[in-house]
Amino acid sequence: MSKGRKIWLSLLAIIILAIFCLMVDLPKLPWDKAFFNWFSRQKIHLGLDLQGGTHLVYQADVSKIPVKDRASAIEGVRDVIERRVNAFGVSEPIVQTDKVGNQWRLIVELPGIKDVNQAIKMIGETPLLEFKEQNPNPQPKLTPQEKEEMEKYNQEAKKRAENVLKEALTPGSKFEELAKKYSEDEANRDKGGDLGWFGRGKMVKEFEEAVFDKMKKGEVYPKLVKTVFGYHIIKKIDEREKEENGKKVKEVKASHILIKTKSEADYLKQKDLWKYTGLTGKQLKRAQVEFDQTTGEPRVALEFNKEGKKLFAEITERNVGKPVAIFLDGSPISIPIVKEKISGGKAVITGKFDLKEAKKLAQRLQEGALPVPIKLISQQTIGPTLGKISLKKSLTAGLFGLLLIALFMIIYYRLPGLLAVIALCLYGGISLAIFKLIPVTLTLAGVAGFILSIGMAVDANVLIFERFKEEKKWGRSLDEAIEQGFKRAWPSIRDGNVSTLITCFILYYFGTSLIRGFGLTLGIGVLISMFSAIVVTRTFIRLVSRWSFLRKSNWLWGVKKIKVIENK
Amino acid sequence: MLKIIQHRKIWFIISGSLCLLSILSLIFWGLKPAIDFTGGTLMEIEFSQIPRPTVNEIKEALSPLNLGDLRIQYFGDKGVLFRLKNIDEDTHQKILKSLEDKFGSKDKKVIEEKRFESIGPIIGKELSNKAKWSITLVVIMIIVYVAWAFRRVSKPVSSWKYGLAAIAALVHDILITTGIFSVLGHFLNVEIDILFITALLTILGYSVNDTIVVFDRTRENLHRHPEEGFDEVVNRSVNETIVRSINTSLTTLFVLLSVFFLGGRTIRYFVLALIFGVIFGTYSSIFIASPLLVTWEKLRRKKQFKR
Repeated sequence: MSKGRKIWLSLLAIIILAIFCLMVDLPKLPWDKAFFNWFSRQKIHLGLDLQGGTHLVYQADVSKIPVKDRASAIEGVRDVIERRVNAFGVSEPIVQTDKVGNQWRLIVELPGIKDVNQAIKMIGETPLLEFKEQNPNPQPKLTPQEKEEMEKYNQEAKKRAENVLKEALTPGSKFEELAKKYSEDEANRDKGGDLGWFGRGKMVKEFEEAVFDKMKKGEVYPKLVKTVFGYHIIKKIDEREKEENGKKVKEVKASHILIKTKSEADYLKQKDLWKYTGLTGKQLKRAQVEFDQTTGEPRVALEFNKEGKKLFAEITERNVGKPVAIFLDGSPISIPIVKEKISGGKAVITGKFDLKEAKKLAQRLQEGALPVPIKLISQQTIGPTLGKISLKKSLTAGLFGLLLIALFMIIYYRLPGLLAVIALCLYGGISLAIFKLIPVTLTLAGVAGFILSIGMAVDANVLIFERFKEEKKWGRSLDEAIEQGFKRAWPSIRDGNVSTLITCFILYYFGTSLIRGFGLTLGIGVLISMFSAIVVTRTFIRLVSRWSFLRKSNWLWGVKKIKVIENK
Repeated sequence: MLKIIQHRKIWFIISGSLCLLSILSLIFWGLKPAIDFTGGTLMEIEFSQIPRPTVNEIKEALSPLNLGDLRIQYFGDKGVLFRLKNIDEDTHQKILKSLEDKFGSKDKKVIEEKRFESIGPIIGKELSNKAKWSITLVVIMIIVYVAWAFRRVSKPVSSWKYGLAAIAALVHDILITTGIFSVLGHFLNVEIDILFITALLTILGYSVNDTIVVFDRTRENLHRHPEEGFDEVVNRSVNETIVRSINTSLTTLFVLLSVFFLGGRTIRYFVLALIFGVIFGTYSSIFIASPLLVTWEKLRRKKQFKR
């Protein structure tokens, strides 16, 4: 193949490439054919900071889930959130899981969302439904710290009770008012501590002994009475005898002031009493409201999927005669006793709720329950107007920068400079097409990276043209100088770009989504710029250097009219 | 021919004092880390009401919320920038509501939230670890790369010295750029965010380019002009490459400057860091890296002479 033919072929290839990229770049092509529609479908993906939107990071609390089940539990959370997020109607939402060290995260990106607060509520509000069985080994002992705390509290309670007793025993004091002021028994505090009439067997032993056996009518018992509830200050109001089943029964009317104490049960929390079973809202297939056939009360019927059905059967099998608790958002809503093994994969939640509450619960469960609790730890929201302004400004800046470069290159390097600018335009077109095709999500930093790469793209041309001028100065012919310019500048271009590519690689590998965009666009830019600066510009220059009217002018090539110069 | 190498003492004094000033500024003023690294909240709000409320009025409106250290700054004509600790979504909504209640009227909304970032301290810590790792990795890889690129040069200066000179120039660029941001932080409250780290890494990659170009030429001229002294060869190489070093930086600076002046506010300081990096990168590749090589060579000669 002759040299001329080779150049024309390269030019043809470049033109075809340019047309292809242009078709990808244009937002819409005028021809309505399936083939062309493919080009129109290629869209630029803008990052959250350019189109507005929110980036949320959730921390998943997997502490209560066995290590081996954690990954799948997180997948479950992702699926549920994805379902929730799809309901917002934003385009291209992203929900992904991320493991940092041994912490599990969920990253939710909602581009173009208007009401972020609403979205956060809807994601966070999704109920956490868990089925738990009794823990055979509930933590039976208090920690020393808890014990100390409890004892301290109880001592203080005793002191308070003694003070109240002293006050109650003072002549002229009104028991009712003291009860209203101090009693911690919410059931009768407002009635002045009045417990009404009661017989034997209704009250705890210590209390009963005091009022029935030790006290006279109208008396305030001069000692504190200690029961499991705490310290009681008791006033016996009245007593009477009542006929019941032919027997005479003594009844007492009394008031009391209760100062509560704490027991170990107050400290042994619910969570220790109940054990994770693996059955959660994740395995829920359907939740709906139905009515109890005998009482007519609304209840929520649950239907499990295949996995849930199996789990539920196992759980009920090993807990026959024992309670299984249904937890919603961390607190038990229903603790039914299992009568027999349930293999049909159906369960009901009965509780004290009205129809409206039952409906809401069923709806929330239907929409998806989270298998593990999540907490929002980071939020980045960019308003849509800010993004639009940023994008517009960056594009203006990019165009202006391009214009400056074009002016500089043409003024300084003349004809080769002009050719480099044409190659640079092609470079822009190719980059844009590649961003669309990969696709690269363009963030503001990414756009900056791209603009920066435009500045760097001509660096290779500068190196080549300077070398060309030198070679020409040293007395080489135009063609030789051109070839040598490209050949000799190559090692410098390669070495220089490799170090930038190293940086881009690390930015991409280590960066957050914002930084990744920058690393990626700069990296792609550097690679394409080598192609455009070397292959494309060389083809252009080889072509124009064949035309004799262009060859003659030294001015056009930016070289002085010196034939041979000693290079020493 | 410019006598760049011969006047190297001048450049060393200039760069030495700039580095010293940077170190002093870093020691005494330090850097102001952004919420990216510390965790915290950044909130941008625009008031449609003119004039916008004063800082004290805003602080007063938000005082019942107990937001802790709350820093409020104006930006643009209508904007107000809030910086505070990491808060949850509830508190965020309460802040917006308090502002609207205090400054808005029933039928007219006065505030528009442009941006809201609240980053938990864990995320911040992770990010700063990541940043440290990436800087270390980039530096190591560039050292390895430069050493590899100059593996064939051995006379009269061995290849690792080229590498070290290039690294010294890099340290110089990074140090001065960071120093400038320390000063900016002290006087203008400019913060160091993840974008600044990105800019530093980019400078690391970019600034070594120019140095490599000059060294490449030195390598070539050592063969071409064996009769010249080392310092003459280096000076010739610097002179031959100075135009291209300046021109490549100029084209890059053109785009950076246009983004700095015309681009979005959010990346302004990122671009500024890049601009300083490119300027000092070019300066150091001409006036620091090559003169260092020559000084090194002279020192070696002296030692030999003494023996």
